[in-house]
Order: sequence, then C-alpha cells, then structure tokens
Amino acid sequence: MSGLSVGMLLFLVSVGMSLIFGVTRIVNLAHGAFYMVGAYLMVTLVELLPDRPWAFWVALLLAPVGVAVLGGVVEVGLLRLIYRRDPLLQLILTFGLILVIGTLVLLVWGPDNKSVPRPDALAGSVKIFGQPFPSYYLLVLVLAPLVAVALWLLFYRTRWGMLVRAATVDREMLGALGVNVAALYTQVFVFGSWLAGFGGALAAPTVAVALGMDGDVLTTAFVVVVIGGLGSFAGSFIGALLVGLLQSFGILIFPAVSIVLLFALMAVVLIVRPWGLLGRPDA
Amino acid sequence: MGVALAVAPLVLPSFFLQLLTEIAIIGLFATAFNLLMGFGGMVSFGHAAYFALGAYTAALLVKRAGVPLLAALAAAPLVAAAGALLFGFFIVRLSHTYFAMLSLAFAQIVFTVIFKWKALTGGDDGLLDVWPPTFLKSPAAYYYFTLVIVGLCILALHAIVDSPFGYALKAVRENPRRARYIGIDVRRHQLAAFVISGAFSGVAGSLFAFYNGSVFPDFAYFTKSFEPLVVALLGGVQSFFGPLAGAFGFKILEWLISRQWPVYWPLVLGGIVVVVIVVLPSGFVGLVGGRRWRRQPAVKA
Repeated sequence: MSGLSVGMLLFLVSVGMSLIFGVTRIVNLAHGAFYMVGAYLMVTLVELLPDRPWAFWVALLLAPVGVAVLGGVVEVGLLRLIYRRDPLLQLILTFGLILVIGTLVLLVWGPDNKSVPRPDALAGSVKIFGQPFPSYYLLVLVLAPLVAVALWLLFYRTRWGMLVRAATVDREMLGALGVNVAALYTQVFVFGSWLAGFGGALAAPTVAVALGMDGDVLTTAFVVVVIGGLGSFAGSFIGALLVGLLQSFGILIFPAVSIVLLFALMAVVLIVRPWGLLGRPDA
Repeated sequence: MGVALAVAPLVLPSFFLQLLTEIAIIGLFATAFNLLMGFGGMVSFGHAAYFALGAYTAALLVKRAGVPLLAALAAAPLVAAAGALLFGFFIVRLSHTYFAMLSLAFAQIVFTVIFKWKALTGGDDGLLDVWPPTFLKSPAAYYYFTLVIVGLCILALHAIVDSPFGYALKAVRENPRRARYIGIDVRRHQLAAFVISGAFSGVAGSLFAFYNGSVFPDFAYFTKSFEPLVVALLGGVQSFFGPLAGAFGFKILEWLISRQWPVYWPLVLGGIVVVVIVVLPSGFVGLVGGRRWRRQPAVKA
C-alpha cells in the first residue's frame, strides 16, 4: 500500500518530466530541483499562513504555482535561447541549473532538514487488512489518480491537449499549420513544472524536506520515464507504479540492493526496448 | 611551459604545488572525458563512476591488501576499464540524450554500491589514511610524480586522438551513418573510446586518492561527473588541450571563490555552465580561436 502511494507521487513528478520531453525534446534534469523547491515552498507557506485547518490546503495550492512561475522563468529566460542548438547543450544547461537551484535553496532555507506537519484530519492512521496505514497516504492515493484522470481529460478532450499531442508527434508540421509552437513550449514547460511542484508539495509531509532530495527523485523519476517511455502519458503511470512497488518490496526483501534492482530493471528495458514500454522509437 | 612546471617546486610554496597537482589530475580527468565528448560526440553524465572505481581500487589495494603503490596505480585503470566495458556495452547502444541518461544511471549504481557496501568501502565514512609511501609524501615529490604520470597519459591520449582510430572516431561523431557505409564499426569504436576514456579517468581517480589521503562515496556522485564537463566546456571541447587549459581556469576560480565564500561555489559552477552554454558555446579557448560548436571539424591541437 505505501508502495502504491510512493508510486503515485512518482507519477506526478515523472509525468511532468515526460510531458516536457514529449513536446520540447528536453530532458529537464532540473525537474528534481523543481520538486525540491515545491517541498520547501510548502514548508514556508505552512509556517507563514495562520494556524488554521485550511492553511495546509491553501499552501498545497500555492506552492506548485510558485514552482510553475520558476519553470516559466527558466524556459523564457534560458531554454528558449538555445532551442535551435545541439540538444546536448540543453541537457547540460538543465544539469547546471541543478547546482544553481540547489545552492539557492541552501541559501534561502539553510542546511537543516525541515518537516511539514500533516493536517490534523489526516494525522492519524487507519487499519487496512489489519495493518496500520497512515491516513495521509490515503489522500495521496486519492489525489494523484484524480490528477491522472484530469490529465487524461486535458490531453484527450481539449483543444490544448490535442495541440500538445500533435507537438509530440511532429512539431514542425504543427508550426507550419499556424500554431504558435513557442508559446506551446512555454505553456508545457510551466505545466510540467507545476506537476513537479505539486508532487513535491504533496510529498512534503511524508518525507524529511532536505537538500539532496532533488537528486533522489530525479534518478527515480528518470527510471520511471525510461521504463514507461519518454513522452508517453500512460507509460509514466505504469512505470511509476512498477517502480513504487518494486522499491517498497525491494526494501523488504533486499534492503541494500533495492536501488540496484531498480536500475537493473531500467537497463533491461533499455536493452530490450530502448524507447520504453509504451514509448515510440526514434525519440 | 614544461620548464615552468619543472621548476615550480623550487619557487612556489607547497600550497600552490598542491593546487597544481590537483589541476594536473582534473586536467587528465577532463581530457579523458573529452575524448568522448569532443572527439566522439558522446556526452557522459556518469564519468565520476570510473574516477571512483580507480580511486577505490587503488585505495583498497593499498589499505586492505598491502599492495605497493605502483601496482595499485596500475590496477586502477584496469578495474575502471572493466567497469566502463560492462556499462559501456549497454550505453553505446543508445544515442544522445539516452546515452547521457543511462551513463548517469550506471554512475548512480556505482555510487549506491559504494555507499551501501560498508564492509568493503567504509560506506559514508570513506577510507581514511590512504597515503603514498614516505618518499612521495612531500607535496613536491607527489607533484613531480603526478606530473610524470599525467604527462604520460596525456601523450598516450594525444597519440590515440591522432591515430587512425581517432580519425575514425571523429568520422563517427560527424556522421555515424556515413561512417558505417565506409566500413567503420560504429558501436565498436564508440565502446573502445568509452573504455579508453574510463581507464584514464580511473588513473586520475587513483592519483587523486593518494593526493587526498582518503576516498569517499562522493567521488562517484553526480556532482563529480559534472566537473570534467564544466572543465571541458570552460576550456573548449573542440581542442585536445582545451580541457587542460580549462582545468587551470576551473581550479584557480574554485580556489579564489571557495576561499572566500565556500557556499557559493556550486552556484558559480552552475552559473558558469549556464553562461558558457548560452553565450560562449565554444568555451573560453573558443573566444580566441573563434570556432563554433560542432560546425567545423575538430582541429588537430
């Protein structure tokens, strides 16, 4: 069960990464940093807002918006300048952003670990199959699939979603048809950042909010999107569930090597189907 | 230049000798890395893995098995090359983005194994007291020792770049399909370059282990993989000696900044990358030569 909720949080982060890749062809290595910023913003907002039951929910709404703004600044201020150049430069640039954002977080929030208290209504635990289960995880288990359904509706039932899907197939043709692709890039990047921020904010009460959480989530989210297929929405969902379950069972069975298990699974997928389980070749 | 490096211990205080030793080591690391990036067109995000494999091999052999220093230094590149062969076999099957990401993933595996395998590697605490024998203990002696080994490695790498293999590698970088048509086995060349690059990264790691006197799991962490990348970008990836020049700039900058404001160093490091990529794509050496990224064939240094 906790494996499921870990998987759900992973899904939020990795679907954003996958979405950004699908449209802009950029693997945003700073995605984990965005997740971390989301968690830290949550810390600050919960502290700043008055101590009322609604404060947590307002913070949960606002923190991802802050990350989305950050994503917008990065896209418009930096990435837009180098879209026409070698894709590796974009990859290296987002790698550089990891260091910049990491240091800024250290300067703003300091080196100590932070924590976010769970809202009172969800502070306890419930019994499921006789096992105590933190009720906050139930919130994760409800919210993340809701987001997944909302995403599906967005991609398959709206004009914007249609444009996004079209862009993952053929960007040049979309531009030739008169769609403002540059604006679409920005929107997708901002939206993907929002998802990372939402994942971070939602995860904040379940983990120690600390420096270095960006690297952990980046590598796991990366495994998820590679297994599921970069740019594939359903692939992220399946990949996230697989990885979440594998992680929690792996820790029970082989505590020391659970992460190696993860990368081994990824290596196997890459060797058998380099474009991922549900991705398309030629990515 | 050679004379200046040779007489340096006579005039410079030992602190600067240590700085020069570090510059030589990271210069070798970045040059090895650039064999892939500059000449093979393959960007590895996980080269720290081979640096760490070299460092840990040398440190473990000396500390746990009592092997003499030179034998340990000789074993380091072999283990690093074996690791590069194992991982590279899978990595070179992918291109561009996937190549970079899979190399990063394998490096994270190496980091995790080192971090968790406490019985062998000491885990988080690292391995301490890994010093060279007494005759190499003074900064000047170790400086000369490093200079000789790094010099030999650079010569070897230069010979490799200048060999038929090196030219075939550049052909693969410029146009893999055309390279295949003229009979070059693309994957085999890429894998060979990957293994060579990993082996020399291992040499750099082992030299650093004895310079530092200790080894830590951080050596394999992804921020370490970032160093040769920044150094090569700083110096210019299109020239063979660019990374060496970049190592000078990098270490001196690091010393100036981390002496005053250690917290800001990663910020500056990341900032340099962002600025170099957006404004100066051919590095600072490129400023002088005026060459552009990947637009012209690599020029023999």
